[in-house]
Amino acid sequence: MTCKDAIAVLADYLEAAMSPELLAQLEQHLHDCAPCRAYLATYRKTKSLAAGASRVEMPEEMKLRLRDFLLTQLRAGR
Amino acid sequence: MVETDDRTLLDCAVAGDVSALEKLMSRHPGRVYRLAYGIARNQADAEEIVQDVFLSMVRKGASFEGHAALTSWMYRVTTNVALNKRRGKRRELEVSLEEHLPTYKEDGHRDGDRSYVLADWSGTPEQKLLSGETRRILEEAIDTLPDHYRAVLILRDVEELSNEEVAETVNDSLGSVKSRLHRARMALREQLTRYLGPQP
Repeated sequence: MTCKDAIAVLADYLEAAMSPELLAQLEQHLHDCAPCRAYLATYRKTKSLAAGASRVEMPEEMKLRLRDFLLTQLRAGR
Repeated sequence: MVETDDRTLLDCAVAGDVSALEKLMSRHPGRVYRLAYGIARNQADAEEIVQDVFLSMVRKGASFEGHAALTSWMYRVTTNVALNKRRGKRRELEVSLEEHLPTYKEDGHRDGDRSYVLADWSGTPEQKLLSGETRRILEEAIDTLPDHYRAVLILRDVEELSNEEVAETVNDSLGSVKSRLHRARMALREQLTRYLGPQP
Protein backbone atom coordinates (compact mmCIF):
# COMPACT_ATOMS: atom_id res chain seq x y z
CA MET A 1 0.00 0.00 0.00
CA THR A 2 1.25 3.51 -0.87
CA CYS A 3 0.60 6.78 1.00
CA LYS A 4 -1.90 7.69 -1.73
CA ASP A 5 -3.80 4.43 -1.18
CA ALA A 6 -3.70 4.90 2.60
CA ILE A 7 -4.94 8.49 2.63
CA ALA A 8 -7.73 7.59 0.19
CA VAL A 9 -9.28 5.21 2.74
CA LEU A 10 -8.88 7.24 5.95
CA ALA A 11 -12.55 8.26 6.08
CA ASP A 12 -13.58 4.60 5.85
CA TYR A 13 -10.99 3.75 8.49
CA LEU A 14 -12.48 6.27 10.94
CA GLU A 15 -15.92 4.77 10.33
CA ALA A 16 -14.62 1.21 10.78
CA ALA A 17 -16.03 0.49 7.32
CA MET A 18 -13.16 -1.49 5.81
CA SER A 19 -12.69 -5.13 4.88
CA PRO A 20 -10.37 -7.03 7.23
CA GLU A 21 -7.84 -7.42 4.40
CA LEU A 22 -7.73 -3.69 3.59
CA LEU A 23 -7.64 -2.82 7.27
CA ALA A 24 -4.59 -5.07 7.78
CA GLN A 25 -2.83 -3.42 4.82
CA LEU A 26 -3.59 0.08 6.14
CA GLU A 27 -2.43 -0.76 9.66
CA GLN A 28 0.80 -2.19 8.28
CA HIS A 29 1.34 0.96 6.22
CA LEU A 30 0.64 3.20 9.22
CA HIS A 31 3.09 1.17 11.29
CA ASP A 32 5.81 1.74 8.71
CA CYS A 33 5.00 5.32 7.58
CA ALA A 34 5.47 8.25 9.99
CA PRO A 35 4.04 10.86 7.53
CA CYS A 36 0.82 8.87 7.20
CA ARG A 37 0.58 8.47 10.97
CA ALA A 38 0.89 12.26 11.26
CA TYR A 39 -1.68 12.66 8.47
CA LEU A 40 -4.18 10.39 10.20
CA ALA A 41 -3.75 12.15 13.56
CA THR A 42 -4.23 15.61 12.06
CA TYR A 43 -7.10 14.45 9.79
CA ARG A 44 -8.94 13.08 12.81
CA LYS A 45 -8.28 16.27 14.78
CA THR A 46 -9.44 18.43 11.84
CA LYS A 47 -12.75 16.55 11.74
CA SER A 48 -13.28 17.23 15.41
CA LEU A 49 -12.20 20.90 15.17
CA ALA A 50 -14.46 21.64 12.19
CA ALA A 51 -17.41 20.15 14.07
CA GLY A 52 -16.54 22.11 17.22
CA ALA A 53 -16.23 25.38 15.32
CA SER A 54 -19.57 24.81 13.57
CA ARG A 55 -21.71 24.05 16.63
CA VAL A 56 -23.18 27.54 16.75
CA GLU A 57 -26.21 28.44 18.83
CA MET A 58 -29.13 30.39 17.48
CA PRO A 59 -29.04 33.84 19.14
CA GLU A 60 -31.85 34.35 21.67
CA GLU A 61 -33.11 37.54 20.01
CA MET A 62 -33.34 35.63 16.72
CA LYS A 63 -35.51 32.97 18.39
CA LEU A 64 -37.85 35.71 19.58
CA ARG A 65 -37.99 37.28 16.11
CA LEU A 66 -38.73 33.86 14.60
CA ARG A 67 -41.53 33.24 17.09
CA ASP A 68 -43.10 36.66 16.39
CA PHE A 69 -42.72 36.16 12.64
CA LEU A 70 -44.42 32.76 12.70
CA LEU A 71 -47.24 33.94 14.95
CA THR A 72 -47.89 36.86 12.62
CA GLN A 73 -47.90 34.54 9.62
CA LEU A 74 -50.20 32.03 11.31
CA ARG A 75 -52.67 34.71 12.34
CA ALA A 76 -52.61 36.26 8.89
CA GLY A 77 -53.32 32.86 7.34
CA ARG A 78 -56.37 32.10 9.48
CA MET B 1 -44.68 11.81 30.86
CA VAL B 2 -45.19 11.13 27.17
CA GLU B 3 -44.09 14.00 24.95
CA THR B 4 -46.59 15.23 22.45
CA ASP B 5 -45.36 14.17 19.03
CA ASP B 6 -44.40 16.64 16.34
CA ARG B 7 -47.41 15.90 14.20
CA THR B 8 -49.87 16.67 16.99
CA LEU B 9 -47.99 19.86 17.84
CA LEU B 10 -47.98 20.88 14.20
CA ASP B 11 -51.71 20.28 13.89
CA CYS B 12 -52.30 22.42 16.96
CA ALA B 13 -49.91 25.15 15.79
CA VAL B 14 -51.58 25.32 12.39
CA ALA B 15 -54.91 25.66 14.20
CA GLY B 16 -53.50 28.68 16.03
CA ASP B 17 -52.30 27.12 19.30
CA VAL B 18 -49.41 29.37 20.39
CA SER B 19 -48.10 27.01 23.09
CA ALA B 20 -47.90 24.16 20.54
CA LEU B 21 -45.91 26.40 18.22
CA GLU B 22 -43.59 27.33 21.07
CA LYS B 23 -43.03 23.67 22.00
CA LEU B 24 -42.25 22.86 18.38
CA MET B 25 -39.86 25.77 18.21
CA SER B 26 -38.07 24.68 21.37
CA ARG B 27 -37.31 21.33 19.71
CA HIS B 28 -36.05 22.18 16.27
CA PRO B 29 -34.65 25.66 15.59
CA GLY B 30 -31.17 24.83 16.92
CA ARG B 31 -30.39 22.24 14.30
CA VAL B 32 -32.06 24.22 11.50
CA TYR B 33 -30.04 27.31 12.42
CA ARG B 34 -26.77 25.36 12.75
CA LEU B 35 -27.21 23.86 9.32
CA ALA B 36 -28.41 27.13 7.74
CA TYR B 37 -25.50 29.06 9.22
CA GLY B 38 -23.07 26.27 8.37
CA ILE B 39 -23.94 26.49 4.69
CA ALA B 40 -24.74 30.21 4.34
CA ARG B 41 -21.94 31.36 6.67
CA ASN B 42 -23.63 34.55 7.78
CA GLN B 43 -26.28 35.31 10.39
CA ALA B 44 -28.62 37.41 8.27
CA ASP B 45 -28.95 34.74 5.56
CA ALA B 46 -29.24 32.01 8.20
CA GLU B 47 -32.13 33.87 9.83
CA GLU B 48 -34.00 34.17 6.52
CA ILE B 49 -33.43 30.48 5.83
CA VAL B 50 -34.76 29.48 9.28
CA GLN B 51 -37.84 31.67 8.73
CA ASP B 52 -38.49 30.09 5.32
CA VAL B 53 -38.12 26.56 6.69
CA PHE B 54 -40.42 27.09 9.69
CA LEU B 55 -43.00 28.96 7.67
CA SER B 56 -43.06 26.15 5.17
CA MET B 57 -43.33 23.65 8.03
CA VAL B 58 -46.36 25.24 9.67
CA ARG B 59 -48.01 25.68 6.26
CA LYS B 60 -47.46 22.02 5.42
CA GLY B 61 -49.01 21.09 8.75
CA ALA B 62 -50.39 17.59 8.92
CA SER B 63 -48.57 16.17 5.93
CA PHE B 64 -45.79 14.96 8.25
CA GLU B 65 -46.12 11.55 9.83
CA GLY B 66 -43.93 11.92 12.89
CA HIS B 67 -40.70 13.14 14.43
CA ALA B 68 -38.33 11.26 12.10
CA ALA B 69 -40.22 12.41 9.01
CA LEU B 70 -40.21 16.00 10.20
CA THR B 71 -36.52 15.97 11.10
CA SER B 72 -35.50 14.49 7.72
CA TRP B 73 -37.72 17.00 5.96
CA MET B 74 -36.16 19.88 7.87
CA TYR B 75 -32.62 18.83 7.00
CA ARG B 76 -33.57 18.44 3.33
CA VAL B 77 -35.43 21.73 3.02
CA THR B 78 -32.87 23.70 5.03
CA THR B 79 -30.06 22.37 2.84
CA ASN B 80 -31.94 23.20 -0.37
CA VAL B 81 -32.96 26.69 0.74
CA ALA B 82 -29.44 27.46 1.96
CA LEU B 83 -27.77 26.19 -1.22
CA ASN B 84 -30.24 28.18 -3.35
CA LYS B 85 -29.48 31.29 -1.34
CA ARG B 86 -25.76 30.75 -1.93
CA ARG B 87 -26.29 30.39 -5.67
CA GLY B 88 -24.98 33.47 -7.39
CA LYS B 89 -22.77 34.33 -4.42
CA ARG B 90 -20.61 31.31 -5.11
CA ARG B 91 -17.02 31.93 -6.04
CA GLU B 92 -14.92 29.71 -8.29
CA LEU B 93 -13.27 27.63 -5.64
CA GLU B 94 -12.88 24.16 -7.09
CA VAL B 95 -9.34 24.98 -8.23
CA SER B 96 -8.33 26.17 -4.77
CA LEU B 97 -9.72 22.95 -3.25
CA GLU B 98 -7.37 20.97 -5.49
CA GLU B 99 -4.53 23.10 -4.16
CA HIS B 100 -5.32 21.93 -0.65
CA LEU B 101 -5.18 18.21 -1.33
CA PRO B 102 -2.05 16.13 -0.59
CA THR B 103 0.45 15.61 -3.38
CA TYR B 104 2.27 12.39 -4.18
CA LYS B 105 5.43 11.24 -5.92
CA GLU B 106 5.18 8.94 -8.93
CA ASP B 107 5.51 5.91 -6.66
CA GLY B 108 2.43 7.00 -4.65
CA HIS B 109 4.27 8.17 -1.54
CA ARG B 110 3.89 11.65 -0.02
CA ASP B 111 5.61 14.48 -1.81
CA GLY B 112 6.94 17.56 -0.02
CA ASP B 113 9.38 18.71 2.59
CA ARG B 114 9.98 15.98 5.20
CA SER B 115 9.36 18.24 8.19
CA TYR B 116 6.05 19.32 6.61
CA VAL B 117 4.75 15.82 5.89
CA LEU B 118 5.74 14.79 9.44
CA ALA B 119 4.00 17.79 11.04
CA ASP B 120 1.65 16.57 13.75
CA TRP B 121 -0.16 19.28 15.69
CA SER B 122 -2.92 16.94 16.90
CA GLY B 123 -1.63 16.97 20.47
CA THR B 124 -2.56 20.64 20.88
CA PRO B 125 -5.70 20.92 23.03
CA GLU B 126 -8.88 21.54 21.05
CA GLN B 127 -9.86 24.50 23.22
CA LYS B 128 -6.57 26.21 22.38
CA LEU B 129 -6.95 25.46 18.67
CA LEU B 130 -10.50 26.80 18.64
CA SER B 131 -9.45 30.19 19.91
CA GLY B 132 -7.49 33.02 18.39
CA GLU B 133 -5.72 32.85 15.05
CA THR B 134 -6.14 29.10 14.49
CA ARG B 135 -9.90 29.48 14.74
CA ARG B 136 -9.79 32.30 12.22
CA ILE B 137 -7.76 30.16 9.80
CA LEU B 138 -10.22 27.28 10.24
CA GLU B 139 -13.30 29.49 9.78
CA GLU B 140 -11.79 30.98 6.64
CA ALA B 141 -10.99 27.51 5.31
CA ILE B 142 -14.59 26.40 5.96
CA ASP B 143 -15.86 29.59 4.27
CA THR B 144 -13.91 28.86 1.11
CA LEU B 145 -15.05 25.25 0.70
CA PRO B 146 -17.43 24.85 -2.24
CA ASP B 147 -21.02 25.06 -0.93
CA HIS B 148 -21.93 21.43 -1.68
CA TYR B 149 -18.80 20.22 0.11
CA ARG B 150 -19.55 22.39 3.14
CA ALA B 151 -23.16 21.15 3.27
CA VAL B 152 -22.00 17.53 3.36
CA LEU B 153 -19.39 18.32 6.02
CA ILE B 154 -21.95 20.00 8.29
CA LEU B 155 -24.56 17.26 7.84
CA ARG B 156 -22.07 14.48 8.54
CA ASP B 157 -19.62 15.91 11.08
CA VAL B 158 -21.81 18.40 12.95
CA GLU B 159 -25.32 16.95 12.67
CA GLU B 160 -23.88 13.43 12.70
CA LEU B 161 -26.18 12.01 10.05
CA SER B 162 -24.99 8.75 8.49
CA ASN B 163 -23.44 8.92 5.01
CA GLU B 164 -26.62 7.33 3.65
CA GLU B 165 -28.81 9.97 5.35
CA VAL B 166 -26.58 12.74 4.00
CA ALA B 167 -26.88 11.28 0.48
CA GLU B 168 -30.67 11.28 0.82
CA THR B 169 -30.68 14.83 2.20
CA VAL B 170 -28.58 16.30 -0.61
CA ASN B 171 -30.13 13.99 -3.21
CA ASP B 172 -26.81 12.65 -4.39
CA SER B 173 -25.07 9.28 -4.57
CA LEU B 174 -23.35 7.75 -1.55
CA GLY B 175 -20.05 7.70 -3.45
CA SER B 176 -20.25 11.40 -4.24
CA VAL B 177 -21.08 12.28 -0.62
CA LYS B 178 -18.16 10.23 0.74
CA SER B 179 -15.77 11.77 -1.78
CA ARG B 180 -16.85 15.35 -0.98
CA LEU B 181 -16.65 14.74 2.74
CA HIS B 182 -13.13 13.32 2.53
CA ARG B 183 -11.90 16.08 0.21
CA ALA B 184 -13.43 18.78 2.44
CA ARG B 185 -11.72 17.37 5.54
CA MET B 186 -8.41 17.05 3.66
CA ALA B 187 -8.63 20.66 2.42
CA LEU B 188 -9.24 21.94 5.96
CA ARG B 189 -6.44 19.75 7.35
CA GLU B 190 -4.00 21.07 4.79
CA GLN B 191 -4.75 24.70 5.57
CA LEU B 192 -4.44 24.10 9.31
CA THR B 193 -1.14 22.27 8.80
CA ARG B 194 0.25 25.12 6.72
CA TYR B 195 -0.43 27.39 9.67
CA LEU B 196 0.35 25.11 12.60
CA GLY B 197 3.19 22.93 11.40
CA PRO B 198 5.95 22.00 11.24
CA GLN B 199 6.67 23.03 14.81
CA PRO B 200 10.21 24.34 15.43
